[in-house]
Amino acid sequence: MCVSDTLQKMHVHIYRQCISVIITVNYSCIVARKQSLFQHMLSTLPKCIEQAKAYSTVVTVGSLHAVKLLYVKVVKDCRSQFEHWKKVENDYESLQERLRTLPDKLSYDIMVPFGPLAFMPGKLVHTNELTVLLGDNWFAKCSAKQADALVEHRKKHVKNTLDDLQKVMKNFQNRADFTDDLEKLTGDTGDFVDIREEVINEEEVTKAKHRLAHKANSKPKQEYLLDLEEDKEKKEGDEEGTTGVLSEEELWARLDELERQEELQDERYRLDSTDTNGEDTTSSSEEEKEADGGSDVQVNGHQKENGWVPTSITSQMNGTNGSHPEDEEEEDCDEEAGNGLPTIYFSHTAEFKKVRINTGKNTTLKFSERNEQKAQAKRKKKSGKSNGHSPHESYKITSPADIYRVFVDLVNGEPIPRKSILKSRSRENSVCSDTSESSTADFEERRAAFGRSWSHDDATHSDTSDGITEEESPTGTSPHTNGCFEAFTSTVIEKDPLPCSIPHLTIAPPALPTIPERKLEEVGPEAPQEPPKWMSKFKATRLHQK
Amino acid sequence: MAEAIQKKLQAELEKYQQLQKDVSKSMSARQKLEAQLTENNIVKEELALLDIQNTVYKLIGPVLVKQDLDEAKATVSKRLEYINGEIQRYETLLKEMERKSEQHREVLSSLQQEYQRAQGQAVGKV
Repeated sequence: MCVSDTLQKMHVHIYRQCISVIITVNYSCIVARKQSLFQHMLSTLPKCIEQAKAYSTVVTVGSLHAVKLLYVKVVKDCRSQFEHWKKVENDYESLQERLRTLPDKLSYDIMVPFGPLAFMPGKLVHTNELTVLLGDNWFAKCSAKQADALVEHRKKHVKNTLDDLQKVMKNFQNRADFTDDLEKLTGDTGDFVDIREEVINEEEVTKAKHRLAHKANSKPKQEYLLDLEEDKEKKEGDEEGTTGVLSEEELWARLDELERQEELQDERYRLDSTDTNGEDTTSSSEEEKEADGGSDVQVNGHQKENGWVPTSITSQMNGTNGSHPEDEEEEDCDEEAGNGLPTIYFSHTAEFKKVRINTGKNTTLKFSERNEQKAQAKRKKKSGKSNGHSPHESYKITSPADIYRVFVDLVNGEPIPRKSILKSRSRENSVCSDTSESSTADFEERRAAFGRSWSHDDATHSDTSDGITEEESPTGTSPHTNGCFEAFTSTVIEKDPLPCSIPHLTIAPPALPTIPERKLEEVGPEAPQEPPKWMSKFKATRLHQK
Repeated sequence: MAEAIQKKLQAELEKYQQLQKDVSKSMSARQKLEAQLTENNIVKEELALLDIQNTVYKLIGPVLVKQDLDEAKATVSKRLEYINGEIQRYETLLKEMERKSEQHREVLSSLQQEYQRAQGQAVGKV
């Protein structure tokens, strides 16, 4: 549409006019006398600063790049002016020097300029009498010292203008840099990584204050843009205001769009991962692998470990360590909306920190997600397995708590924590099973008691986990026969010393109840099957359970 | 129908352009005034630094005319006041012009919309 083009041209035209005014003034100053040059520049400078502000108003439609160009232009102009004023200051300095030395002699022999092309020898007399241009066609006869004072006074003005220029330059430089960053964030991946967390289970809303969603977090940057628009002088502000608002809306629309794309991608990923997890749960040949020795397990464990290490590294890099999801129940979504950024999908399970390890009669192992584990226990009962295959499982151990979670016995289809991890699975239910079997009945109430007392004691942990643990512990006691355990990241009270180093740490997703169901054969395929994107073990567990 | 709107649009656009030119002219005039303002301020300050012994001259054409220091000071002050008044005047003028240009802009945008609608209809008819 030609009209919009015309309007745009008009704005550009006015913008150009402003620049041309400045340029003409500058050029005129160069040819003028020093005094008037100073005056001119001094007088135009406030206007230049206003022009600089006006530049920020001439925002061409939409793109950040154009805005950035404007800022860069302003900064360049400021810099050139700064150079100019610096030169003026230097000239005044040399003038002052001359004034100081001039009255030393009564007269000087000099070459007097005679027209534009000739000089002639002459004398400079009355060396102390100076006619000074004060400005606006006013002259004054002064002594050298008085002239010196006047020059000093003028230098003060020049310094003020230099400072103003500096400020403006810095300001616009910052703005330019900021638009740069903004462009990078919205466009390229840069060094930023988006961390997203899908909240699947709405009941698991914790007491802790959750941070705002993506869009809200990206608002500060939008607000900055708004500020820029507010800075405008209203001369051309309205037109640009509307276009600026449009561009902002465009940005929002784009963010929405990209967010939707991300979700679609995520759905796809999830489908893939559920497929792989589904295989694990349904496979039933785990029992055959029961007899495999530790070497196999070790090998697999190592493979697992290697496979998982990069992901754990990435997870750590991004600050949301999978090993402590309980600690971070709040989203750390400070980054801009992940439009095209590498995304890390972070998910919580309800496994909180409160875990007491029970590897015998002395400690309890608690999990917070009792319902889930109830279901898992039921499933296990159905499948009718009673083996302890945790070393063979491919779980990701990222915290000491995981160790206890991983290495459990399955007694009557329920996971029971082991007294000693090193004890081989081949001994099957005999491993500490007497302790767990005998204490099955009172295990639960002990656990519940522990849970309640523990939740009371442990004030340092988040209130959310406290609350939920307390909620769940009374509810979980009756239906549970055994084995709802929580991840433990606090103190472990053990009577029997446990091995600190487990050479074949198998890295596996959490959720112990499902561990026994895992087959050894899956250990191998799971390593290569490891999803390219990092998935929290909790999420994996949850998906697996689905 | 579309042509009529187009003509109206053109007319409006021309008016708007004219207005914009006026705005820019006033703005440049105001800039000049501001330059003079700063200049005269400096002159005033520097006159304050001088004493009665210094003779003050005013350049009137090619002639340096002797002036009294106090007289010069008074003249400069008066000029400053005059410049300030002028700036105020230009300020109000600019505001007025800005308001008018805003109105024109609105008219233009509405006309533009009409034109587009008319064009759409014409296309539909065709």
